[in-house]
Amino acid sequence: MQKDKHMRNGTSLLLLAAIALAGAACLTALGAGTANAAALEPTDSGAPSAIVMFPVGDKPNPKGAAMKPAVFNHLNHEKKIENCETCHHTGDPVACSTCHTVEGKAEGNFITLERAMHATNIAKRAKGNTPVSCVSCHEQQTKERRECAGCHAIVTPKRDSAWCATCHNVTPSMTPEQMQKGINGTLLPGDNEALAAETVLAQKPVTPVSPMLAPLKVVIDSLADKYEGSNFTHRRHLTSLIEGIKDDKLAQAFHNQPELLCATCHHRSPLSLTPPKCGSCHAKEIDKVNPGRPNLMAAYHLQCMGCHKGMNVARPRDTDCTTCHKAAPKSAD
Amino acid sequence: MKRRTFLTILGSAGVVSALGTAKVAQAGPHTFPYYADSYGVLHDTTRCIGCRKCEEACNKVNHLPKPKKPFSDLTVCDTTRRTSEYQWTVVNKYKVNGKDVFRKLQCFHCNDPACASACFAKCFSKHPNGAVHYDGSQCVGCRYCMIACPFYVPGFQYDEAFDPLVQKCTFCEPLLQEGKLPGCVQACPKDALTFGRRSDLLRVARARMADNPGKYVNYIYGETDAGGTAWMVLSPAVGQAAAAIPADDAPLAGDELKQLGLNTHLGNRPMGELTYGALGAVPMIVAFWPVLFGGAYAISKRREAMYKAEKDEKIKEAHEDVAAAVDAAVRKIEETQGPGAADTARRAMTEALKARETECKCHGEDK
Repeated sequence: MQKDKHMRNGTSLLLLAAIALAGAACLTALGAGTANAAALEPTDSGAPSAIVMFPVGDKPNPKGAAMKPAVFNHLNHEKKIENCETCHHTGDPVACSTCHTVEGKAEGNFITLERAMHATNIAKRAKGNTPVSCVSCHEQQTKERRECAGCHAIVTPKRDSAWCATCHNVTPSMTPEQMQKGINGTLLPGDNEALAAETVLAQKPVTPVSPMLAPLKVVIDSLADKYEGSNFTHRRHLTSLIEGIKDDKLAQAFHNQPELLCATCHHRSPLSLTPPKCGSCHAKEIDKVNPGRPNLMAAYHLQCMGCHKGMNVARPRDTDCTTCHKAAPKSAD
Repeated sequence: MKRRTFLTILGSAGVVSALGTAKVAQAGPHTFPYYADSYGVLHDTTRCIGCRKCEEACNKVNHLPKPKKPFSDLTVCDTTRRTSEYQWTVVNKYKVNGKDVFRKLQCFHCNDPACASACFAKCFSKHPNGAVHYDGSQCVGCRYCMIACPFYVPGFQYDEAFDPLVQKCTFCEPLLQEGKLPGCVQACPKDALTFGRRSDLLRVARARMADNPGKYVNYIYGETDAGGTAWMVLSPAVGQAAAAIPADDAPLAGDELKQLGLNTHLGNRPMGELTYGALGAVPMIVAFWPVLFGGAYAISKRREAMYKAEKDEKIKEAHEDVAAAVDAAVRKIEETQGPGAADTARRAMTEALKARETECKCHGEDK
């Protein structure tokens, strides 16, 4: 027990230090960013550091009506994934749109560009390399990595326009002519890389909300009956979430609003520093109109245990009730 | 008509009538009515943590005897238990692709219960609220229901010397009538048991599958199994790569439902449909065959009686002929030989006739 306490103190000290360091790093990074603008670090493979992926199609498209192009940071992905054949699944490092066009063509088994980038649940190939899409690989990350799997075990991000815009984010300075050329596949590689570099350099990682703005502890006792209320260490939980994904580029790219990390527990309401209480929606008794909505007790337990299970937090076990809330002193029973 | 032909016709008529009644039973309305607004419970095994609060609540609200091991002892989940007469619900731990998954067992409250189809005392009935109700007042203790149940749910009070009854989950009908939830549902701290109209629960289940891709096996156990049940089960989809599967469980790999102890081979028709045809014919046979055979017996009896009456009349006529002949003969004797001789002759003839009649009677009829 004594040791445990020490550990905890140590952790919080470490955390504070880490936050300070992170702040300092942010400042220096900003400075560095301005110093060598308009140039990205080159890749080891010699591929462009970032490219714009245009919705290349075979059919004439005189008005250039298409999805806003996505910018692919080849450098970041190359650093994370050792095997090029994960994405270049044929073994030939060509552009995706060589085989997968908007309409699909025979070389790509008529798998359209949209499917090639977004398909999930990809059937395992009997022989050879099973291809992955952007979305399927990212989903796999969120399900397999401990620091992600807690939240992502209980929430699936909404596929709304903000979610699309995370990747479909080419710089607004792209001209319609460039878009036209990109769709036709006639844009010069140099122009493409310039557009991509401009987009990537304009991106600033969003700093998550400071844990100091969040309450230190939250006493959850609206249901206290057989057990006493639970002293939920709110700030500690938030800090550990932020810590877990601190240096991760994928997490940074997708958690692009300061309060987004709050939205696992404080779900289904607009992002805010003062979100509604759980009991605002979750009634103590099951809601007859919404039988699928858990009652308040279940809502607490589902969130807590769901995240802990996803993160493989071994302690406390789900059935150790008194670890989180002490047993209430019993009257004669 | 010859006796043999008559019997042949009678026999074939009987067989035809029996077949006819059986056919009526097959097509007839022996299945239970579908109650559109009936209630049910959705058991989400991905949420169940095996805390046994449901068992405890069930024991309490139904005033069942306290078990030997307390409900706080969670090791009992490790052994696969069945529901019994004093444990109407049990939580078992299963290994699904190497991971622990808990599942609560209780009466599934079938839409068309097999126990009811097997019970000849009509103790079981499906209520419009969804519960399969057991009324023990007519129970003879045959335990056919226990054999019929595809889920092995009903238990029998073997320890009761007088009037032992079958016992099983009641869906907490008394509580439902008070507007309360079943004991187990109230007690579940994780909403692993969701109460609602069965039709709503199916939608809730599908929504959960859609909201959490890859979390559930795409199958609502009880939606159609055994003709559909009021209590339904969602099973977790557990990736096999993540788990080391013991060699002896290898045949079950990938079949999460089977590993969770759920029988997926019950078919989608009610169990009772297998026997409704044959069993439905029994009352018809019991009602109709006595009439048929009784009628045939009555007809043959009547024919016998008519034949006898005809015979008697003929005999009577013959008697009258003889009497007339005797009279004529006696009158002739009186005319020719005088009244004394006539008297003697009449007496002699009457005696002779009487003697002959008695002789006939002695030989008698068939009786």
